[in-house]
Amino acid sequence: MAGISTHVLDNFNGRPGAGMRIDFSAREKDGSWKLVKTMTTNADGRTDQPVLAPEAAAVGEYELSFHLGDFYERQGARLADPLFVDKVVPLRFAIFDAKQHYHVPMLCTPWSCSTYRGS
Amino acid sequence: MKDDTISPQADSMQRRGVLRAGLLMGGAALAPGFAAAADAPAAAPAGLTVAPNSQAGVSPRLTVHAIDTFHGATGAGLKLDLSRFDGERWQLLKTVRANAGGRPAEPLLIGDAYRSGRYEVLLHLDEYFAQMGAKLPQPSFLSKVPLRFVIQDAAQRVHLAALFSPWGYSYYRGS
Repeated sequence: MAGISTHVLDNFNGRPGAGMRIDFSAREKDGSWKLVKTMTTNADGRTDQPVLAPEAAAVGEYELSFHLGDFYERQGARLADPLFVDKVVPLRFAIFDAKQHYHVPMLCTPWSCSTYRGS
Repeated sequence: MKDDTISPQADSMQRRGVLRAGLLMGGAALAPGFAAAADAPAAAPAGLTVAPNSQAGVSPRLTVHAIDTFHGATGAGLKLDLSRFDGERWQLLKTVRANAGGRPAEPLLIGDAYRSGRYEVLLHLDEYFAQMGAKLPQPSFLSKVPLRFVIQDAAQRVHLAALFSPWGYSYYRGS
């Protein structure tokens, strides 16, 4: 299946990152970013609907912005230090072949972020 | 395999291209033995000749270190843009390149310039892997990668560590 999906793993707590806001944007021809939609991760750290459905997939640049600040602030008392990662972390990548699927996870803690082309 | 596959192997022409790019950056930035690396397997394009560097106890500053986990090498020659959020937009403060050890020659911020705030280091992975001769589909999965982080307390130094390949990256508060 083509399109884009994501998965938030909260490696601070060793759990799926449930309830995190994600903004999905696409790059316009003029280079600006256009917000496509805002989603919230479910209990499994995924989005209920595909980030980008197969029929909408197109070659181009995309951005997923993860709202880590709000996510970890809700867990406030458990954080010894303020966040090192910014309150909103953008992840930018490209679809180079619209027939392929792009699974782009976000592994995060208050002090680190990691992503990769997953499956 | 089709055109959209990638390989860490680069032919000697491409390695010479990397070497030329390195020389353009200033020969002093190259590791000893870099020229010899041009004839060595491409898996170690910059050669790992630099020992780890402890910064324990140094004065408050922002430093960065980039490692190329695709080639198993430092991110030598990688271009980095440092920006700071001024409350409305991201303002570019400086553009630097990583030296042979994968670090810019100077701290990104030190002294009066080292202030709390929201910062971004933009990694120019597109240029870097093009110089390495990596065969990647276009547009490449990763091109210009923003790493956003916060300096909360300008009395404490911050070390930004970044690991990258064409297919993924990590960053964290290092030491």
